[in-house]
Amino acid sequence: MIRTSTQLFLLAVLSLCLVPALAPAADTVCLQCHGGLDGRLGDPVDAWRTSVHAENDISCHDCHGGDPTDMAMAMSPERGFIGVPEYTEVPDFCGRCHVGVAKAYKAGAHGQAIDRGGAQCVVCHSNHAIQPASLDMINEKDCTRCHSYERAALIRLALVETDTMIKNVEQDLDKLHRLGFAVDDMQGTLFNQRNIFHRTFHGVDVERVRAETGDVQAALGKIKDKIDTIKTTLGQRKLWGSVVIGLIVLAGIVFLLIRKSYEEDEHS
Amino acid sequence: MMLGGLGALIGAASAWPVLRFLSPRATGGKADTVTVARSDVKQGDAHFFQYRSKPAVVLQPKPGEFVALSAVCTHLGCIVAWQKQAGEFLCPCHGGRFSAEGQVLGGPPPSPLESFPVKLEGDQLKIG
Amino acid sequence: MQPVKWLVEFVDVRLGIKEIYQKELKGYLLPRKVNVWYTLGAVLLTLFTIQIITGILLLMFYVPDAEKAYASVEAIMNDVPFGWLFRMLHVVGANVIVIALLMHMLSVLFMNSYKGRREFTWLTGFILFNLAMGLCLTGYLLPWSQLSFWATTVATDAAGAIPLVGDQVVEFLRGGPTVDNQTLGRFFALHVVGMPLVLLGLIGLHLFCVKRRGISTPPFGEDYREPQEMPFFEHEKHPGGIPFFPNYFVKDAAVIAFFMAFMLAIIFYAPGLFFPETAFQRADPFVTPPHIKPEWYFLWAYQTLKIFPSKIIGLGVQVAFMTFLALLPFIDRSRERRPAKRPLFVTCYVLGILLFVAISIWGHYS
Repeated sequence: MIRTSTQLFLLAVLSLCLVPALAPAADTVCLQCHGGLDGRLGDPVDAWRTSVHAENDISCHDCHGGDPTDMAMAMSPERGFIGVPEYTEVPDFCGRCHVGVAKAYKAGAHGQAIDRGGAQCVVCHSNHAIQPASLDMINEKDCTRCHSYERAALIRLALVETDTMIKNVEQDLDKLHRLGFAVDDMQGTLFNQRNIFHRTFHGVDVERVRAETGDVQAALGKIKDKIDTIKTTLGQRKLWGSVVIGLIVLAGIVFLLIRKSYEEDEHS
Repeated sequence: MMLGGLGALIGAASAWPVLRFLSPRATGGKADTVTVARSDVKQGDAHFFQYRSKPAVVLQPKPGEFVALSAVCTHLGCIVAWQKQAGEFLCPCHGGRFSAEGQVLGGPPPSPLESFPVKLEGDQLKIG
Repeated sequence: MQPVKWLVEFVDVRLGIKEIYQKELKGYLLPRKVNVWYTLGAVLLTLFTIQIITGILLLMFYVPDAEKAYASVEAIMNDVPFGWLFRMLHVVGANVIVIALLMHMLSVLFMNSYKGRREFTWLTGFILFNLAMGLCLTGYLLPWSQLSFWATTVATDAAGAIPLVGDQVVEFLRGGPTVDNQTLGRFFALHVVGMPLVLLGLIGLHLFCVKRRGISTPPFGEDYREPQEMPFFEHEKHPGGIPFFPNYFVKDAAVIAFFMAFMLAIIFYAPGLFFPETAFQRADPFVTPPHIKPEWYFLWAYQTLKIFPSKIIGLGVQVAFMTFLALLPFIDRSRERRPAKRPLFVTCYVLGILLFVAISIWGHYS
């Protein structure tokens, strides 16, 4: 269907894409080609490289489909290529992996308003330079693009308190882990609670977020109790340890004193 | 004299931990069996519970057949959800899917869900 | 006390222990000028004993299988009463042994005590030092953590620098192409039985050489003179010296007490000192942690390998240095032992220590 001369031209252009393949050999054909392009077609590559997806080896084809190993068939629908989703298709696009979040989002105010321009995933998380979710995504400047900030502020408040709790528990568990304590179970529970919590407020429902906050903080409270027990144990160990060290140092000093008395005898 | 006293104290402080270390302990905690009422696990349904202080699930995929699995997704540790219509587990974090036997059907999980022995005794299910 | 006196009499008429006491303890005379560095031998004996005792205790709960090793150590640390204490004593003890070994070797070097027909003492001591390093290396793998796995991978890789047979040597050490269950098996056998047996034998030989030849006199002070060397065996006596027991024994006991206090202080106040984060992650053969490094006492070797562009030269330099050190009594034949009269030796000695420290620090940051 495409004229031979055009085919050859396309082949020549595509082969130019191989030039930037001086990049690490592990690059997919997507990165090899788009990495050498400018503007709209090339920007996503640099943006993606800074993302949490890139850190976890999630590349172009994982979201957009297609064949990452075959330059000619890379963007073929036969190999599952989906292309760029429309604005309203984005939640389903991301929801192929982030199932729980998509479900909570669609049930919430933003999800219900998507046809009227309600915020979807990319609006807050961006599309290629995706970072782990942070509190700063809820801020006056961004949220007031469409409506007033009151409810967003309430949700942010509920979040701050619990997120701070989660962070503190995380740090405590890390410290205990470094001392050899088996805190894997607690770290797993914490991970789970954080995910449940972050998932819930995608539904932007203040009451639900408040209820969820209660549940999560209760679970965190249980973990904190266990941590406190461990800290008490550590304190006791340190106390007894200090006593024994003191006794041993005392013994050493006594031995030295005895030695001194022998030295006097030896010199006399 | 003082040295003798100190020596005795230090000796006791050293012997005590060794004694406790070597003494047999009551086996408890980790090796427990969990009992679930049979009526809690309807056919095609999954019942979640705690096993060895971690989330677990017992289900009845076919009449009279019971399967007990860990409910912790092997990808990054989220808890899987049971999809009744599809008859499979779906992990809400990144879409990992497991069969009713815990085998990986799709998504990022690298290995199947850990399975636990389950026995039917009368109208009780004993897991572990 | 009557019962004690009676017991002593009972054993004495059967085994002559009073005679042994007179000859080996009360009558065993040390040079008057003996200094604190001479206590390090007793310190090391105590530390090795602690390693054996804690090692046996740990053996009761440790499982030497790649699937179960990490969990068994975690159980020791968390479930077994005082398991954490014996594990920590074993780990901190190993590191303190290396410190004490270095101090012992450096003091012997400084006082030139390898001279005066003490070549065998020095040689057995040198082999003991290497054995201790081997024990540290094999023991390191046993917890099967990320640190264990990858530090062992890096360390065994170094053998690949040997020309011609390098790769076979690496596979032989590991029991396979990569660090795996076979590696754990052989390292476990060596660490628990193989090397300790050889160690005990060599310690016996080392102590025999020390006692047989006699304790050397510290080479300090203007009135120090090197005794004449006769063409027959002589045991160096110290008439008018201080009795080993109880006079010097209490000094041994004091220094041992301070070393123990030091170890316990690390365990209770700086427990993370010898445990980087990777020590508490289960080994994953597919994920190499960033910045994996050998333990501090191997950093010098690690960095030396990195300095030289060719691995074989790097290895060769280390082998040459170790050989030089081992054969030092045969290379340094001068009879002069006083550091005050040996400025060149002292300079090389100090520079050597500084170089070791500098390369180790470099190895830590590179």
